[in-house]
Amino acid sequence: MNIRLLILMLAGSGWMLAGSGWAIAAVGIVAEDRVDYLKQIKPILRERCFSCHGALKQEADLRLDTVAMMIQGSHSGTVLTPGDAHASTLVERVATTDITERMPPEQEGEPLSNAQVNLLRRWIEQGAAAPQDEKAEADPRDHWAFQPIVRPAVPTVDNTEWGKHPVDAFLAHQHHQRGLTPQADASRLILLRRLYFDLIGLPPTAEEIAEFENDQEPEFYARVVDRLLEDRRHGERWARHWMDIWRYSDWWGLGQQLRNSQKHIWHWRDWIVESLNADLPYDEMVRLMLAADEIAPLDLSKVRATGYLARNYFLFNRNQWMDETVEHVSKGLLGLTMNCAKCHDHKYDPILQTDYYRMRAFFEPYHVRMNMVPGESNFSLDGIPGIFDGLPDTPTYLFVRGAESNPDRSKTITPGVPDFFNFKKLAIEPIALPVEAWHPQRQSWVIDAYLFKAKQKIESAKEAVTSTREKLGKAKKSAKEVEIVQAQLKVAEADLAMAHAESVSVKCRVEAMRAGWESTDHPDHSGAAARAQFEREKTVTAVQAERKSSVLKAQHHIAIAELALLRTADDKNKKSAAEKTFKLAQESFEKVKAIASSEVKPDEPYTRLPGAKWTPTRFFDSTKDDPTVEFSAQSTGRRTALAHWITDRRNPLTARVAVNHLWMRHMGAPLVPSLFDFGRKGIRPTHVELLDWMAIELMDNGWSMKHLHRVIVSSKAYRMGSSLAQGEANIAKDIDNRFWWRRTPMRMESQAVRDSILAHAGTLDDTLGGPPVLPKEQATSVRRSLYFFHSNNQRNLFLTKFDEAPVIECYRREQSILPQQALALTNSKLVLDAAKKIAPRLAEGIHDDVSYIRKTFAVMLGISANEAEIKASHQSLEAWRQMSHASKIEARVHFIWALMNHNDYVTIR
Amino acid sequence: MKPNLHHPLTRRSFLADMGNGFTGLALGAMLHRDGWAGGKVWSPPTGQPHFAPKAKNVIWLFMNGGVSHMESFDPKPMLTKYGGLTIAESPFADTQDPEKLALERLVVPDANGNQRNTLYPLQIGFRKHGQSGIEVSDWFPHVARHVDKLAIVRSMWTTDSNHGAQKQFHSGRHQNDGEFPTLGAWVDYGLGSMNDNLPQFISIGKRPYWNQRDGYYLGPAHDAVPLRIDPDNPLDFSHSERPFAAEAKGIGKDLIRRLSTIQSARYPGDPAIAARIASYDLAFRMQRSVLDVMDFSKETAATRSLYGIDLPHCRDFGMQLLAARRMVEQGVRFIQIQHGAGGAGAWDAHGKLKANHSRNALAVDQPIGGLLDDLDSRGLLEQTMVVFATEFGRTPGSQGADGRDHHIFGFTVWMAGGGLKRGVVHGATDEIGFHAIENRHYVTDIHATILHQLGLDSRQLEIPGRKRLDIDHGRPITEIIA
Repeated sequence: MNIRLLILMLAGSGWMLAGSGWAIAAVGIVAEDRVDYLKQIKPILRERCFSCHGALKQEADLRLDTVAMMIQGSHSGTVLTPGDAHASTLVERVATTDITERMPPEQEGEPLSNAQVNLLRRWIEQGAAAPQDEKAEADPRDHWAFQPIVRPAVPTVDNTEWGKHPVDAFLAHQHHQRGLTPQADASRLILLRRLYFDLIGLPPTAEEIAEFENDQEPEFYARVVDRLLEDRRHGERWARHWMDIWRYSDWWGLGQQLRNSQKHIWHWRDWIVESLNADLPYDEMVRLMLAADEIAPLDLSKVRATGYLARNYFLFNRNQWMDETVEHVSKGLLGLTMNCAKCHDHKYDPILQTDYYRMRAFFEPYHVRMNMVPGESNFSLDGIPGIFDGLPDTPTYLFVRGAESNPDRSKTITPGVPDFFNFKKLAIEPIALPVEAWHPQRQSWVIDAYLFKAKQKIESAKEAVTSTREKLGKAKKSAKEVEIVQAQLKVAEADLAMAHAESVSVKCRVEAMRAGWESTDHPDHSGAAARAQFEREKTVTAVQAERKSSVLKAQHHIAIAELALLRTADDKNKKSAAEKTFKLAQESFEKVKAIASSEVKPDEPYTRLPGAKWTPTRFFDSTKDDPTVEFSAQSTGRRTALAHWITDRRNPLTARVAVNHLWMRHMGAPLVPSLFDFGRKGIRPTHVELLDWMAIELMDNGWSMKHLHRVIVSSKAYRMGSSLAQGEANIAKDIDNRFWWRRTPMRMESQAVRDSILAHAGTLDDTLGGPPVLPKEQATSVRRSLYFFHSNNQRNLFLTKFDEAPVIECYRREQSILPQQALALTNSKLVLDAAKKIAPRLAEGIHDDVSYIRKTFAVMLGISANEAEIKASHQSLEAWRQMSHASKIEARVHFIWALMNHNDYVTIR
Repeated sequence: MKPNLHHPLTRRSFLADMGNGFTGLALGAMLHRDGWAGGKVWSPPTGQPHFAPKAKNVIWLFMNGGVSHMESFDPKPMLTKYGGLTIAESPFADTQDPEKLALERLVVPDANGNQRNTLYPLQIGFRKHGQSGIEVSDWFPHVARHVDKLAIVRSMWTTDSNHGAQKQFHSGRHQNDGEFPTLGAWVDYGLGSMNDNLPQFISIGKRPYWNQRDGYYLGPAHDAVPLRIDPDNPLDFSHSERPFAAEAKGIGKDLIRRLSTIQSARYPGDPAIAARIASYDLAFRMQRSVLDVMDFSKETAATRSLYGIDLPHCRDFGMQLLAARRMVEQGVRFIQIQHGAGGAGAWDAHGKLKANHSRNALAVDQPIGGLLDDLDSRGLLEQTMVVFATEFGRTPGSQGADGRDHHIFGFTVWMAGGGLKRGVVHGATDEIGFHAIENRHYVTDIHATILHQLGLDSRQLEIPGRKRLDIDHGRPITEIIA
């Protein structure tokens, strides 16, 4: 089902009619005698030829962006002879069927169509008239977004209201020039709802609305802004925005096999939430996401940030992993479409194909690992996904025409940025890591976690023994029952013995590991022999303890098998299987017992207790893990260098891209509509100076995002009403509101829709952070939606109906209006259950329908109900009450349900 | 309903505001405005075909897992003749020329998707059928009855030797390239609706190996709407999940409508209000129309048994196909039916091929035969393209004792109706079904053929900033077009 259907219905006609009503001239080929160069020829040349013969590149010294330059020609002479198409090389080269001669060349694009070639011929035959003062294509170096950012002067505006705030002044300047009159402020009610959804993603309560509406102080607005920016729910709201851009995804794969992203990746999400609440500077966030493993290797809390790169993990294919990394680091942080240079030089921007692979080289060494968190030694239960440079020597090769099957091994590509953006020399220095970073088992909490786990096992085993003994005391029914409980007791006792042995084994191994560290940390001669001897002794003890532990484990298995034998004694079908298991358990017991009594071999290792685990890849064979990638004492420093280059004040793109994202989420539309492309193919903003002013403002204030939030929401522009009423003059000049003369209403993101329903119902759980709510728990969960498990394969059904973020790429949310949303809002348990809770909540302290209607409109929709709305609502309430079996509260439940299906329930006005 | 637009908002800005894949659309609109669009003036599709269409609907039957082409619609007696020999020992050693094998693009080396060298005899017989005398395996007797209606393409190839090829068959791109809109999404994007009460692009059945998405950069509005052939739960949120008296709901619907009218007086020209109320009307109608489509009580017993609905082994697929025919009658544009859930797809016969394919064929053969009968007798086959496709074929050599592996170098797809030639075979594989050797076709040629019959030119649908390659567009297989 698509939205077009709805539009066509709105047009009030069938699709055939509607279609023709909107038909727009399709192609510029017009059957006129005189060929129009600017309309018919230049667009073809621009699209098909300029990238190699224009301002970006001048292959064969030829430019085709003006007629004069065509006549001037290439290094082998003119390509255009006005009046003589036959003599013009330009025509010859595009018309030829000889593939070695043809332009554009085979790999660069399709041939021109016959119609296009004929048009070119006719134009030349007609004299190839050049327009007056034809301008050459602009130099890429002059492209607006590639210029250094300087603080533009705030225009002086002759308007007291719109002259005070710099953001307003920039906009008012354009309003004045274009004769646009901005809309007046929205009502306080709308403003409050707007601020709440914008800053914390939830609606204001009835009490908050009343307080705001009655606040007579001039600072009432700023006060709310301050309060909401300090609200911890602010971090949750804006984290979800950045999670879209940074491609947050919980892990996915096939069945239980992890193929993409990482287990426990939610630690990165929590880091984003906490960082935003703490107003961690944007540049610092970017640096940590790219290189916290090098910048703060021992600070696990910061290492969480590298989830940004750990998320790109792909079990099977390194190239796909690297491609996604290059593409989205470039698009998301720099607004550059580096991905367009994977197969050939960029057609619009000064980015060579080599630059794509130079960018890849920054990331070539990194792999993913799971770091242990304090208190949990089982990596499948918890852990912090992070990154490390594990393959510093893996060469990066350029792929000929982008084909992974065709790497150019003659040249190793080194990390670097496009020459064009080389405003500072990249200093890539290898970084020596502290030993705990590459020996993570030495982090203090790791040993503690193992010892704690061992102790816990003993405790629970003891409890089991005690309770089984009690059970034995009570078991008197039959000999058989007693026998079974006795066997159970044997199992519990074996389990306890095993737990003790395991605990000893852990302790011995810890001592052996420590002895080993002594040796490696002091490799000098004095006492080396004694240390080696000590380590040897500890190692032998550790091996023996581990052996003992396996013997007791085998005994435990025997006890379990004996219990099974007893239980299945009367069951012919199961008996033989139990006997088999018992036999196997005995055999393996004999085996480990034999090993335990043998002498420890000189090089026999014990099992180390890891503090972090490499996440295995399967690049070479889908059925088995690749050789282990070891942690190294040194990191390449490549990503740190890249991170510093990206966040350097002189980088013309980073701050501009960031403020554009911030602006769009506050204002409903971006200043640069091509959010991920600030290059020449992107769209030039209408307000470059405003964008630059905000970029400088961000950087000058320590990259504080809260500062920029405050700047934007305190402008008049932010506070305008969204209505088109009385805007006829403006509509005539700027129907698309490109010059910001009114507020752009937004359809709420999926998460805001659901959160708002729960908030109104008063059931929203305000717990911050933690593991994601799994799909099977979601139906009954009242956590905020950003905590729902969200991956490529698993998404919440209700949220999917409202354009949830695709994890592959989501620089901007869709805002569709579809029948499936109507079904979700009319029929889902979520909505119907909430209505039941909301109706009595809003009735507190209210006795008459009219007050009730006013209050519900204000709280649910941000609308001051007018007479017509009150009347319609009242009539419906009466109609519901006249139904049989309908009580007063049921009528109100239905009424709430209806308001939840009002357009403005899912709209931020 | 009447337009509620006080101001003549253009379709373009409406789409941009409403987010019908707006990243692309808004971008295109603005590129145009800023003079960046190059040779063409870009505009969103009008909903009309680009040229006179031959077909209106598509019923897309996709066999998940990979059907053996040799044991379905491209029989190869040489396999039986030389069964047990290695390919190198057989007269067909040249099929393993590395250059011919180079088109394979791996995601990762895998236990499956490998060359299998010992020729494995055909596991089922085959015979000639119809006037055309086209050979079909005995696993498909019902489809074989209609062989004179089919256009069989025996020379398909693809590049992903694992089940990512399912996605590739629909989007035209290998999974290493990223995510791209599928064929159904392009059709949905390009053509207007034929029925305001039903979704135009419907997906039925499981898609084990790919994401539940189709629109990608065209926007989620062009994702297929998943429908279950289950009158109790046909569509997400199609029934109240809590008791809700119809009368009470009716009063509520009236109120929603009245309040919308009042709100649009406050916000004259706000297209969202009008679009939302229209979406409510459509949603309410959809709840009825979707159930109507699945109400088989209106079908005669003869029709029901045509589809094998009374037989347990083909009941599910039969109901899906009968629903598909009813959807065609109701004007649903593109009905995509995936057969074979479980693992990477039910047809994935790495072992026990004979048991696997006889079971699966039994499940689909009679329903498909019935569908072709039914469409034809109702005069719907001329306007409806029925497509039988699968992600790849299976190896001429055996995997293990009794299976076949994935095979990308040659396999078969057939189409029927919608203005195609009837009873023709196009293209061919070599004598053991290894390589497509005559009139080779990549999967997008199937897309191009379908789009062509629907009157669409995929190049005219392209969105600025989303350059597609030649191979993405494919070429219509003109030889099978009537």
